[in-house]
Amino acid sequence: MTAGEGDRVHVQCEESEFEGIVMPSADDSLVLKLESGYNVGFDPGDVEVETLEEDVGGEGEPPVVEREQDSDLPDVSLISTGGTIASTVDYRTGAVTAQFTADDVLQAVPELGEQANYRGRVVTNILSENMTPGHWQEIARAVYEEIEEGADGVVVMHGTDTMAYTASGLAFMLDTPVPVVFVGSQRSADRPSSDNVVNAVCAVEAAKSDVAEVMICMHRSRNDDECSLHRATRARKNHTSRRDAFETVGAEPLGRVDYESREVSVKGSHVERGEQELSVDDDLIPAVQHVKFTPGKDVDIVDSSAEGLVLEGTGLGHVNSDWIETVAEFEGPVVMTSQCLEGRVCDRVYDVGRDLLEAGVVEAEDTLPETAYVKLMWALANCDDPEAAMGRDVAGEITESSRPWT
Amino acid sequence: MDYSDLGLMVGLEIHQQLDTATKLFCNCPTELREEEDSSHEFQRYLHPTYSELGEVDQAALEESRADRLFTYLGYDSTCLVEEDEEPPQPVDREALQTALTVAEALDMSRVDEAHVMRKIVIDGSNTTGFQRTAMVAYDGRLDTSDGPVRVDALALEEESARRVGERDAGPVFSLDRLGIPLVEIGTAPDIRSPEQAQEAAEKLGTVLRSTGKVKRGLGTIRQDLNVSIEDGARVEMKGVQDLAGISDLVENEVERQRKLLEIRSELQSRDAEVGGVHDVTEVFEDTESGVISGALSDGGAVYAVHLRGFDGVVGREIQPDRRLGTEFSDRAQKRGAGGVFHTDELPAYGVTEDEVEALRSAVDAAAEDAVCIVADTPDVAESAIEAVGERAEEALEGVPEETRDAHEDGTSSYLRPLPGAARMYPETDVYPVDLHDFDVQEPTMLDERADRYAEEHGLDEDLARQVAFGEQMPVYEEAVDRGVDPGLAATTLEGTLVELRRDDVDTSAISDNDLLETFDLVLEDEVAKEAVPEILRKAADGATPQEAVEEADLGSAAREAVGGVVEDVLDDKEEMVEEQGMEAFSALMGVVMGEMRGKADGELVSDVLREKLQERM
Repeated sequence: MTAGEGDRVHVQCEESEFEGIVMPSADDSLVLKLESGYNVGFDPGDVEVETLEEDVGGEGEPPVVEREQDSDLPDVSLISTGGTIASTVDYRTGAVTAQFTADDVLQAVPELGEQANYRGRVVTNILSENMTPGHWQEIARAVYEEIEEGADGVVVMHGTDTMAYTASGLAFMLDTPVPVVFVGSQRSADRPSSDNVVNAVCAVEAAKSDVAEVMICMHRSRNDDECSLHRATRARKNHTSRRDAFETVGAEPLGRVDYESREVSVKGSHVERGEQELSVDDDLIPAVQHVKFTPGKDVDIVDSSAEGLVLEGTGLGHVNSDWIETVAEFEGPVVMTSQCLEGRVCDRVYDVGRDLLEAGVVEAEDTLPETAYVKLMWALANCDDPEAAMGRDVAGEITESSRPWT
Repeated sequence: MDYSDLGLMVGLEIHQQLDTATKLFCNCPTELREEEDSSHEFQRYLHPTYSELGEVDQAALEESRADRLFTYLGYDSTCLVEEDEEPPQPVDREALQTALTVAEALDMSRVDEAHVMRKIVIDGSNTTGFQRTAMVAYDGRLDTSDGPVRVDALALEEESARRVGERDAGPVFSLDRLGIPLVEIGTAPDIRSPEQAQEAAEKLGTVLRSTGKVKRGLGTIRQDLNVSIEDGARVEMKGVQDLAGISDLVENEVERQRKLLEIRSELQSRDAEVGGVHDVTEVFEDTESGVISGALSDGGAVYAVHLRGFDGVVGREIQPDRRLGTEFSDRAQKRGAGGVFHTDELPAYGVTEDEVEALRSAVDAAAEDAVCIVADTPDVAESAIEAVGERAEEALEGVPEETRDAHEDGTSSYLRPLPGAARMYPETDVYPVDLHDFDVQEPTMLDERADRYAEEHGLDEDLARQVAFGEQMPVYEEAVDRGVDPGLAATTLEGTLVELRRDDVDTSAISDNDLLETFDLVLEDEVAKEAVPEILRKAADGATPQEAVEEADLGSAAREAVGGVVEDVLDDKEEMVEEQGMEAFSALMGVVMGEMRGKADGELVSDVLREKLQERM
């Protein structure tokens, strides 16, 4: 007979006998969780299985955290979009699944309870690699509504892979009078060492601060001591797995939050709380192509039907001179960024650069390639002169002058 | 003592580090480092989480009560996997192969597919907050002179980080040890006497060493014991490093459980019960007791728990120099308090007769009652005295199930509640491993090896046995494989090293590689075998064998000295050389060896003599 997942079964394997609960299996084997807690896999052909009790898994639910509203505390809106920050292990299957409501998050990170009153909102439930510009718009509208309804700050929980794109999108779409803080985790919340606690606690502090910008709040180093606040449009995920994967490119981070003291310190100029009126320009034209030039790449990769093109050139902003004709013929704006990431594009130095300028390429100064890609979608939909907008700072993506900081 | 009458049941759990090239889940070497060579450090917290069954493990929860910041030391021989900054690599095949070899030797069955689990451990000894472990075999047996002991399970797991110190914020761990493969073997509770426990542990150690793939030296093998007697409870004793101490530990634990059962009967006949917790700070406002006044001057408080019918029982000895009150104290210490005072031991420690009377009347205690107190900050004192109350409740029930820390003197102290199945959940970052592909031979047991060394290598029987059962067996095997003379290898490993140790040379600093390189030098006639002790002496000081030879000029000195003597002998016996040519070799050899008075290696002499003789032909 066949036993289903979650059933308690008796298994006879030659001379040996086992009792346990059937767990999900990625292949054909019968996976049993034994009394000792160990899972083991058996070849189904070698064993006799007898079901003792059906579907016994998942009895003990974690306790629900009771919360009281405290009128002295600020109201922070927790927006969930997916990712591992509030994930837990599925009681029955053992798989890691994301949990989203404010209650779920408070259960995963009980420390948050004393920092603020929370309103939870679930916008979507996807891994960040599956985000599209349509999701950015949904999130922007949700943030707008939360602020309109009186949130003193907004925390957006998001997968880390494309967090910088979404955060940049919001930075362009929203004018916000309160902090909007993106937060994620690099180690899933089901493990005791997860960075979710430190990151979430610091993100809530940032959301209570006076910095009314769209920011990313993640570990500053491998230590559990503080988080960095990165300006959304200058942030980048620069490591696949480390806790301090996010970096502000070409400048020091906007600020930092100390986990122990809960103190937020900000360096340099920023938009103050209440300085801007709340507004949202959430139109986007997603038909923008981002092409990274590499030696030998065929220019046919350029999609002439796109409405805008962001080139990620070499060095100061170059592509093979064979590409110039195609660039000149492209109908929409062609924006030049550099795959060096650090530094400013300058196409006046070498011939190929001068030819590119002549062909109509717009220099995006020191805008990051990914940020330029998001910005062009926004500029095409919202600016009278998108080309001019690409060379001008809109949301902190362009620094006025290249001041060395290290 | 008749242990079968007492219903003694003992199970063993052996943890043995494996000597593999790389760690279990990354490509770092399995070598220990000096802390001062650490290249960086970092700090982390750990937070309890829910298991896949929606439960929090009690043992894990208790460890997390104190919010501690853990410091980790990293090295140029550790990587992001140990730092919990990168997902683990697939399970190391060499470690699996070794674990399955052990399983074969214990006549165990292999699981078809090994699943790596995360066992929650949040005392900081794992950066992840869990230990990765996989069960690979089950249902074997081990024969002892008192009958067979079933071997329930064999797991392959990662070693924890080494605890190297304590700072104000919390403990310091070294990442060098984290991730070294560890075999865990658990027996059924089939052992019936302290002596059988020790024999079983020794046998398991022998089986493990027969693979030639286990780490040697202090701390590389650890035993846990599960002990219970009839009406008692399963008590797990952790971290026994000395095999010889096993029977003492079992005896002391049996004694402890018997005494706790006697105490239970006595308490029940007295209708004893645990009363309330009281703030008795007022009683001690003007106390002369240094401990109490110290706590009170810092704004502390004294809390008391009233134990009805406990008079005289709290002070009763249940293990050598450990009383029921000591068990109360263990629990209080887990909550951060320094310890406990109780009325069975008072007046003492500066607490006066009058204060004891005042204490008794403050909690309304009768003469047959006992009172325990803790002085500390109000929070700690209250939490600690509650823990004492909980332990006193358990005394009414008998023996509490728990994990205890094994002490070198054979006693033990409370560590934490027994871990449950709730602490295990799947390690989703590592694929399950199909174990069908492993071709495993049963290892050659150590006594078979001893026979082989005697028969095939010509060692005398005692030496053969010493080598086979000794720590250096794998080095011996490797040396002989390389062509080193078995006699030289054996006397060096079982004789020279012992003599050096007696001379206070730190032989633990001599690596296997140093030994093998030294043998190679002899094999290649770079040095005489007489130079071996001197080379090893220098290797213990940190020199490589090659450096040692150069430093002491051992190689050329030996050859030159022999050369000089050979020249003299050839000059002396010129006639003989002319007449007999190479035929004179054997006779000349005897003369030269006589001149050298046995100080030179025969092979070197014969080599030099042959060379010089040929020159003169």
